[in-house]
Amino acid sequence: MSFRRKLLTVFALTVCLSVAAVTRVISTMTRRAFEKSNEERTAALVAQFRREFDRRGEDVLHHVENIAASEPTTRMALALSRGSLNYDYGAYLNQAKNIAENQQLDFLQFVSEDGTILSSAQWPAKFGYRDMSVPLAASDAKGSFLRKEELPEGAALSLSAIRMVHIGDKTLYVVGGRRIDKAFMATLELPAGMRAMLYQNLLPEFSSHLLVDPSAALINAEPLRALIQQTEQQKREITQLVHWNSDPSDDETVRAIPLMGQGGNVPGVLLIGASRRPYVELRQHIRSAGLLVGSLGIVLSVLLSGWAAARVTRPVEQLAEAARRVAAGDWNTRVDVTSTDELGELASSFNRMTNELLDQKERLVQTERVAAWRELARRLAHELKNPLFPLQLTVENLIRARQQTPEHFDEVFHESSATLLAEITNLKAIISRFSDFSKMPQPQFQLVQLNEVVKNAARLFQSPSQSAEEVKIQYEMRLQENMQDIAADPDLLHRAISNLLLNAVDAMPHGGVLTLQTRESGDNAFLAISDTGTGLSVEECQRLFTPYYTTKAHGTGLGLAMVQSAVSDHGGKITVQSAPGRGTTFIIELPRILDKSAKQAGSASA
Amino acid sequence: MRLTALLLLASFSGMLRAPASAATRPHYGGTLRIALHAAPTTLDPADPALGDSVAAENISRLVFDTLTVLDDHGVPKPALTSSWSAEPGNQRWRFMPRNDVKFQDGSSLTPEAAASSLRAANPEWKVFSTGGAVIIETASAAPYLPAELALTRNGIAKREGKLMGTGPFAIAEWDLGKKLTLTAREDYWGGRPFLDSIVIELGKSFREQMISLDLGRVDVIEVAAEQALRGVAEGRRVRSSPPQELIAVVFAQDPRSEEEAHMRQALSSSIDRAAINAVLFQARGEPAAGLLPNWMTGYEFLFAKDFNLQEARQVRAQNSIGLTWTLGYDRNDAAARLLAERIALSASDAGLELRVANSKTPDARLVRVPVTSLDGEVALRKLAALLGLPQPIFNGNSPEELYAAEAAPLKSGRVIPLLHVRASYALSDAVKNWAEERDGSWRLEDVWVEAGKP
Repeated sequence: MSFRRKLLTVFALTVCLSVAAVTRVISTMTRRAFEKSNEERTAALVAQFRREFDRRGEDVLHHVENIAASEPTTRMALALSRGSLNYDYGAYLNQAKNIAENQQLDFLQFVSEDGTILSSAQWPAKFGYRDMSVPLAASDAKGSFLRKEELPEGAALSLSAIRMVHIGDKTLYVVGGRRIDKAFMATLELPAGMRAMLYQNLLPEFSSHLLVDPSAALINAEPLRALIQQTEQQKREITQLVHWNSDPSDDETVRAIPLMGQGGNVPGVLLIGASRRPYVELRQHIRSAGLLVGSLGIVLSVLLSGWAAARVTRPVEQLAEAARRVAAGDWNTRVDVTSTDELGELASSFNRMTNELLDQKERLVQTERVAAWRELARRLAHELKNPLFPLQLTVENLIRARQQTPEHFDEVFHESSATLLAEITNLKAIISRFSDFSKMPQPQFQLVQLNEVVKNAARLFQSPSQSAEEVKIQYEMRLQENMQDIAADPDLLHRAISNLLLNAVDAMPHGGVLTLQTRESGDNAFLAISDTGTGLSVEECQRLFTPYYTTKAHGTGLGLAMVQSAVSDHGGKITVQSAPGRGTTFIIELPRILDKSAKQAGSASA
Repeated sequence: MRLTALLLLASFSGMLRAPASAATRPHYGGTLRIALHAAPTTLDPADPALGDSVAAENISRLVFDTLTVLDDHGVPKPALTSSWSAEPGNQRWRFMPRNDVKFQDGSSLTPEAAASSLRAANPEWKVFSTGGAVIIETASAAPYLPAELALTRNGIAKREGKLMGTGPFAIAEWDLGKKLTLTAREDYWGGRPFLDSIVIELGKSFREQMISLDLGRVDVIEVAAEQALRGVAEGRRVRSSPPQELIAVVFAQDPRSEEEAHMRQALSSSIDRAAINAVLFQARGEPAAGLLPNWMTGYEFLFAKDFNLQEARQVRAQNSIGLTWTLGYDRNDAAARLLAERIALSASDAGLELRVANSKTPDARLVRVPVTSLDGEVALRKLAALLGLPQPIFNGNSPEELYAAEAAPLKSGRVIPLLHVRASYALSDAVKNWAEERDGSWRLEDVWVEAGKP
């Protein structure tokens, strides 16, 4: 990872972590503030409910007391005490209903002390039935209380009061009440985002339709089941987060307050719901803001890292680039020294280093050049010394024959002339080879089939006249089919391949297998020439392509140098794999198309 | 019950004494103003839209006479017909119309006019006139035919243009379903009524009627059974008929299984009819065990089955099929709602499920139908038709046959009789000589109103 990226990563991480931490802190503080606010609002709403509940209870109690003290009730009580109501209370059938309408009560019943319903406003047809809950409730009913009222269409929750009318030894109970229902709940003034619901505990099992929700927003009360049942069982306030659906903004914090009836039962549960939508939306805003700030921070990080890079990493990058150029052979590379700090000192040092390297290179080139001339001179001296010595002996022999045996001079002259001509021819051949090496031509590229070039070269060595009696060499051609053309000079390539084949044949004086293999891989074509000869040592492999280095007794050491020169001129490279006794393999890698060759090939085809 | 009977006796005694104790002599003239709850949309006796209420029957009888009438014992007597005879087999009857009867427009009642009117009301009969007689041929033996001709449905009407009859009053003004004005006919064959006219306001609630009576705007009003006792207690002149309206629960279908039949029996046993009569109807009725009232047949007590909740629960426990009945009732009848709720309550006590429903096709209906004839067979046939029951089968005209015919639908479980209730009316002091037939029908041709107290 580059220094710039590291710098960017550090900046971005710092910004993101900071923003995340700030966002979390703000979210936590917001949640606490929201919960505290909800607590206060819920408490206020509960207090409002209780005030309204108590006020209505007092109102109901007042009306029931009025009814108990009224003349019709007294007449009924008198009739009851006289025993004239036994089965003849039809005259009072509608009395409860009429009085309830006058007193604006939803429920009113006149009940005898044995629990017999004498007249019922809410269920007139229930006359004569017994309701023992009234005498039981009357004993400890001082004020109003919640009560379950049975109705023809089901049951209802009532805020009731009971008063007794005593005439003689008989008691008449007056039970009146008002319905605690949607209308009652609708009278509560609800703060925004809050709602009050009432669960009427009228059935043994939980039922959604018993939940009164004035907002009418509730469709499925099932998520409240557990909360309501816990509240009924534990008879204490419980607060719970209720998930209505998968949308968290619809969640609601619901506080359930048991509404106690007589005898410790729970006829109703008040549910105060506080929507979490404002909090969720605020939290979303905070998160969005955090994301925005984080994004901006990352952008700033990029800009800062860019600026820092300009200030810090650019000189370093320039140094790295310069070092790469030097490594690639551009010894004249220099970097600008733009500051006097450590980076400036580093740049100056780099420039000094490249100067030193350049000086050393020039010295090395001069040394190598001197060495090469010496080697050339040594080689020339060695090559020329061999034919010169017979020349000298022949001439001296001619002189001696002329002086000592003139009669045989002609004969000696003829023999010596032949020898002289042969040696002179040998000298010309040596000079010609050196001349050829010095005059390696530039390749003339054209599109050629590598396989064809290989076959042509091999064909020369496979002629029977050449190998029939001397050595038995087996040729194996493993040429890949359908190879694409490559840009190459067929003559140079032919000469290089021929040199390698010649070396391979020389390496197998007692015969063997010579393998030629071609293949394509990517944009390169490969040619491998393997023999099963004596092989080369590691040192020999390292010096193999050095001019004038040879492992043969009579080699000039120019053959493989010429091969390497030709391959290099094609933009390729040659490698050798060998070990003593295991044969040698030369591998030539040639690019299929060179820019230069493509241009030449294009112009040639045109 | 004894107290109730005494009250009823006192009430009837008062009714009988009223004409005798009148301080003034009967005189002609005046208008009798009546307010009724019913609001018929037709006056044609043959039109089913007239309805089956007692009030509709009474209105019809003011305008349309029948060929026969029934006496207090349910025996047919001549009315528009002077005599009748039947051929053997009782399938062909010959009725001889009176000669002195005229329609409202002055035209005489001819045998053809009578036959035409009866054909309209009884399309299943073959009715024609021949030789000054009206001939009625029925598909099967009809020994009850003279009694059936006394039904208001068979009132003789002339339907050529304006609807008119041969009754004591003629239609003067007819505001459909709201108000009917009748004028006395000078040429009535039975003699001119005392009253000059009768104005009947229709579709008035019981409360409106009571207010109108208290304000002196009407002379006669209906009193709901549950209000009758209060009316008496408040010193009103309340007149009540014998128990003549049947209140019953009628199932739409026969029981689909033996278990359901048992359940219906359990429902019948669970209903405390005495309490319902005493409280809901203020003892203005009688618990019913049969379709026809006991005062009419004398054998209703044979059907009687006491309220027995324990037995109902046992039957319910022995038949554990899941059944929920719906019970419909007349939404315009406040007492019907109370009664339906009481029945549902009783059913619930017995472990049965019966819901009071506003459905158009309930499993059972709470019905209130009048007993329209003093002839048992005719009354039973009419009741069967009104209740939607199969027509009873008679193999003779003995009380045993009547009993057997009545017992059949009761045993089938299609109908559960609850009460027979009286029709009650409150009268202003101006109404004199108020009288009713034994079947509760008015006899307004004998009524007169005291001058100065219209």
